[in-house]
Amino acid sequence: MKHSRLLKSVALVLLGVLFAGHALAAPSIAPEESALRQKFIRTLLSTGAQQQALLGELADSGSKLVRDLLTSWTRGEIYLYQDPVTSTTVPLLLEDQQDANGKARGIRIDNGLYLTDASGKELRFTSDDLNTADTDMRLRSTIQQAFDMLSLADPDVDARQNAVIKLGYSQKLQYLPILQARLTKETNAGVKRALYEGIALLQLSTSDSSVRIGATQKLANLGSIGSLDTLRQLAANKTTDPAVARAATNAVEAIERHITWVNFFGTLFHSLSLGSILLVVALGLAITFGLMGIINMAHGEMIAVGAYTTYLVENIFGDGITLSPFGYSFTLPGLHASGWFYQSYFIFAIPLSFLTAALTGLALERSVIRFLYRRPLESLLATWGVSLILQQLFRRIFGANNVQVNSPTWLLGHFAVNDILFGYNRIFVIVFAVVIVFGTWLLLTKTPLGLFIRAVMQNRDMAACMGVRTNRVNMLTFAFGSGLAGLAGAFLSQIGNVGPSLGQSYIVDSFMTVVVGGVGNLAGTVYSALGIGTADETLQQLLGSPVMGKIIVLCAIILFLQWKPGGLFAARSRNLDN
Amino acid sequence: MRKTLSCLFTVGAFMAVAVTSSLRADDKVVKVGILHSLSGTMAISETSLRDVLLFAFDEINASGGVMGYKIEPDIVDGASNWPLFAEKAKQLLEEDKCAVVFGCWTSVSRKSVLPVFEKDNGMLFYPVQYEGEELSKNIFYTAEAVNQQATPAVDYLLDQGKKKFYLIGTDYVYPQTTNLILYKYLLLHGVPVENIGGGLRKDDSGKVISAGKYVPFGHTDFQQIVAEIKQFAASGDACVINTINGDSNVPFFKEVVAAGLTPSDCPVVSFSLAEDELRSMPTKDLVGELGCWTYFQSIKTPGNKAFLERWKSWLATESYPGVVKEKRAVDSPMVLSYDGVYLWKAAVEKAGSFDVDKVRAVLEAGGISFAGPGGTVTMQANHHVTKNVYIGETKADGQFKIIKTFDQVYGEPFLLKGLDDKLAAMSK
Amino acid sequence: MRRTPTNFETWGVTVVAVLILIVLPGLNAFTPADSFLHVSDFSIGLYGKYLCYAVLAISVDLLWGYTGLLSLGQALFFSLGGYMMGMYLMRMIGDLGQYHQPIPDFLVFLGWSSLPPFWKPFSSFPFALMMIFLLPGLLSLVFGFLAFRSRIRGVYFSILTQALTYAAAILFFRNDLLLGGNNGFTDFKFILGYDLRNPATSRALYLATGLLLLGTYLLCRWLTTTKFGKIQRAIRDSENRVLFSGYATSSFKLFVFVLSSLIAALAGALFVPQVGIINPSEMWPDKSLEAVVWVAVGGRGTLVGPVIGAVAVNWLKSWATRAYPDLRLFFLGALFILVVLILPGGLVSLPARIHGWWKHFRRPPEPAPAGAKSAAQPSTLNTQLPP
Repeated sequence: MKHSRLLKSVALVLLGVLFAGHALAAPSIAPEESALRQKFIRTLLSTGAQQQALLGELADSGSKLVRDLLTSWTRGEIYLYQDPVTSTTVPLLLEDQQDANGKARGIRIDNGLYLTDASGKELRFTSDDLNTADTDMRLRSTIQQAFDMLSLADPDVDARQNAVIKLGYSQKLQYLPILQARLTKETNAGVKRALYEGIALLQLSTSDSSVRIGATQKLANLGSIGSLDTLRQLAANKTTDPAVARAATNAVEAIERHITWVNFFGTLFHSLSLGSILLVVALGLAITFGLMGIINMAHGEMIAVGAYTTYLVENIFGDGITLSPFGYSFTLPGLHASGWFYQSYFIFAIPLSFLTAALTGLALERSVIRFLYRRPLESLLATWGVSLILQQLFRRIFGANNVQVNSPTWLLGHFAVNDILFGYNRIFVIVFAVVIVFGTWLLLTKTPLGLFIRAVMQNRDMAACMGVRTNRVNMLTFAFGSGLAGLAGAFLSQIGNVGPSLGQSYIVDSFMTVVVGGVGNLAGTVYSALGIGTADETLQQLLGSPVMGKIIVLCAIILFLQWKPGGLFAARSRNLDN
Repeated sequence: MRKTLSCLFTVGAFMAVAVTSSLRADDKVVKVGILHSLSGTMAISETSLRDVLLFAFDEINASGGVMGYKIEPDIVDGASNWPLFAEKAKQLLEEDKCAVVFGCWTSVSRKSVLPVFEKDNGMLFYPVQYEGEELSKNIFYTAEAVNQQATPAVDYLLDQGKKKFYLIGTDYVYPQTTNLILYKYLLLHGVPVENIGGGLRKDDSGKVISAGKYVPFGHTDFQQIVAEIKQFAASGDACVINTINGDSNVPFFKEVVAAGLTPSDCPVVSFSLAEDELRSMPTKDLVGELGCWTYFQSIKTPGNKAFLERWKSWLATESYPGVVKEKRAVDSPMVLSYDGVYLWKAAVEKAGSFDVDKVRAVLEAGGISFAGPGGTVTMQANHHVTKNVYIGETKADGQFKIIKTFDQVYGEPFLLKGLDDKLAAMSK
Repeated sequence: MRRTPTNFETWGVTVVAVLILIVLPGLNAFTPADSFLHVSDFSIGLYGKYLCYAVLAISVDLLWGYTGLLSLGQALFFSLGGYMMGMYLMRMIGDLGQYHQPIPDFLVFLGWSSLPPFWKPFSSFPFALMMIFLLPGLLSLVFGFLAFRSRIRGVYFSILTQALTYAAAILFFRNDLLLGGNNGFTDFKFILGYDLRNPATSRALYLATGLLLLGTYLLCRWLTTTKFGKIQRAIRDSENRVLFSGYATSSFKLFVFVLSSLIAALAGALFVPQVGIINPSEMWPDKSLEAVVWVAVGGRGTLVGPVIGAVAVNWLKSWATRAYPDLRLFFLGALFILVVLILPGGLVSLPARIHGWWKHFRRPPEPAPAGAKSAAQPSTLNTQLPP
């Protein structure tokens, strides 16, 4: 142990010097490290069982150098150079820095020096010039296990946890003492739990019945879903050891109960998340539809405007982008941001999406919608025409394909509570939906503009008589509704795809949400979005089939509207012809 | 006045010379139809096929045409509307009298034009992977049959030690049929029923009529499904077989990434994602996921390299309307369209005529081959094509790294009955 | 808008009917193939398709222009009629299919060895005909009853019909409905014993569609002149007043809704043998929206308008998909916007509009007392349409 720690720190220091300072001449290497390097090369060049054995030895070394080399190997970054003179294969890495021709120097793995030819001149290559040392899936899983062994002492908690879980599932009894040794030193609670699970899993394969029964109980207590298959096999095997089979059956039942709870809470969270997406998408429509009586079939395209804005912002923060609509190409310069500044592009994208969508909505209102306020059915047609034009415009500008929008790292990933997964981007959407609803409520109830909007909604002519500038109110309301759609687009770009027909996928759902909630009613939209989201997810869970779930939800909406034609919170009015 | 007249006279003379000289030029022309959706939902995929067909035609014309006849492309837009496809097919065959038509992507479009081709005795080359179970004497399928895409991928996964398979697809014929075939195939290879995930539906007699999880077109919410996959894969050695179509793949993979399912834990092999679709997906999250086609752009043969060079230089110089020049990828349906053109050319030259019956006889007789960018392709008597099958892994740049090759696989469209018989024999 | 047809309209319709029903098929049958006057088989098929769309457009207009109900789901009934006819045609294939079995191909590869029970009666044409009326009729009856009883109006009704057609489309995509899944029905061979590939059969189908169009036109024309038609238009203009006058408006609306669904179903039934395929994408919401667009472009509230609109827009589509596939959607979108904003009465109102503008230009400019302004307005056809 001490020996390997010394080795590790030596390797660390040397590696730090080696990989950080390209300009420095490579220093000489400690003999232990050199032995590891040689062993690595032997592993690289051998095959089959010998390779597996050598990998096992490398894993035992606990060396960070080995980990880095293994990582490079799996990424296809190790190249094999055929020395023309000695006809040996020299494995090497290519340094990151490239010269003007795109060529880089090669770093030999056996000694860490730059590769030179017979005369001592450093050789340069591009990646196409050389063959990579390939790995197939089976080799990679063995390497992964080597990683896991090496990761057991990794300072990063997640890495340790993952490593433990993998080793536990490997069903190889030889890891049992290793895991048990680790358990004595582990301090983190999550990793300890994983260690108990891993140890119990491995104990299932021992020959001692009482140990196995103990292990099944442990697994049941931990609620270990991954052990279900093994437990089921044990439970089915009633003849050889009935006691173990009974214990396994009990464990299986306990874990299945656990799964039911996990699914229940998981469905709740999914409902909340789907509901918040529906809400964000439909809120803008509720405002334009409800407050103005305009059916806006171009609402989906406003969503797409927001999504494309996010795409543009991401590219501007990156390397810039060239667009060529209608044959004229122009380039938006890139800021070449990196690190946390680049990751923050999404924060800037959100208000920009709102703005661009609001401006588009404004333009639409001034040009087309303002003639259609008293003709709601015509507004449907005209806005559908606009939606066709906008879709074609997106195709022309951005191409007919979907475009890639990369999520910032702080939105990626998830955390799990008791096996229930909570994705960060979904939590973000939920939080933001709350913020948006709150903001809209504030706008409508606490600001003068909100007062005017409500007045115009209730009775347009009377409001005009009272001196409200209905034209201006219309403009601003429509812009605000479109802006909300743009915000929805920004979120949707993180969760789904961004393409010209993005709007079409959400338009029917948003109409349903608005109509069920009661047109013009904020609270109604919130409840209906959550309700539809819950119904959708629950049916998916119960029926196991998303298709039937969707059909039933649609039929339920149709029937619901028979019962309450105005929606959940119908707008009450003395006017019969509303 | 006189000046104007003399100007007009000169211009007229020039024009007359130009017209007559172009008339005197070689005007032996054969009309060839391109029947694809250039607008609508399928336009994204099908416009690339039109582009590669135009490229093939230009290449052939530059080297003298087919039996001395220049190919004149007759492009019509099916607009992703299936009755319109039938109408356009009639137009190509009855009005424009095309000698051959290259087209269709979805099975619906092919099925809607099939009666037209049979009635008017036309010839259609169909290049896109499909579910099989069809054979028309008027259609030649350069497409991948299920045993040239799905089953080799499953063979590879079994070989790599995968024991649990989760089937997921969009709810229409291709995924339903492919998954049913794969379900029976897996059973034949000893995978127990409980290791095949996604759900099974049985009819009243207990026979499995549908295997796997299906989502409607345009579905975007994969939370539940990915949670289920994660539970399914928790015990290791699992993989996902993905026949989701088109746009829904993006939210699916984003959810997969968010849930922490990595390709080393649970790889996903997708049958409807090629380089063209990967251009618009977050590929750095997809590194290590699998695909299986009979061509990948990253094939390192001299033939493919030369093809890609010629394609790039054609893109730079061509001037057809609507052809996008930047950020192009080449994928299997495009190359199979290209192969189809050359197979037809070879057959016409061997038959010595454009007549459909003669060309068909030559194609069915065997021996018509073409050394395409993906390897040699040979027409079989059952109208399908023998070709290489490649399994690839996604790289961060949207290309595939080839990890396995199956050489010269014979295409067999009728698989279900054979599998049923073998399963029945196995259970005895 | 006239309740009694003008002389011009009667004459126009007669001329067009003669053209469609007698001249065109005659030119197809009796002129040699390379003659200038010959109408090719392809064209006959194409015109038959346009006429089916025209009937669908009339069914939309009957609801929208005359009763004030915008239905965004008429294509559903169109498709259902098509499916019923399709089932009959599939049975007529007999064992000439891919697998040479007496059951449809898609059932064979789904693993069926004999016909499911609900397929069996479709080998008889009278049964199929009855189902063409029964299935869409029942659906529209139930849906309409529930909707109108709850006084669902205006945009809610439209969105509900959209939800209905969307749900139906997703349902029909499923394979286990045993209706062909997303591939639908295709590869038809015989109808009523006649070979579908024979040009004479195409002509007969075309004639049948033309007759259907004429019959629908005459039926609707008659209906609008009766008292029923008056009530219908009154409902469109102000349903509450009609209610207060003592009429059960929901019954009237239900009747019209069912009638228009039957008309659409018949159109769909004739559409399928001419086009050769029916699949669930015909039920997708955008198809219904297209039908509404034809009516809007042609002129709603008239009976001739939808026909003109359907033919014009589809002809434009057939032409544009050949000539300018990239710009097709721009054209279409711009067309809708222009029609809605500038020509609310549609193409049918164009002559009257032009006449009005012409008169306006011809009139010398007068000093403008308050009354003169109204005198200068075009006053022929009523261009103010209710919302």
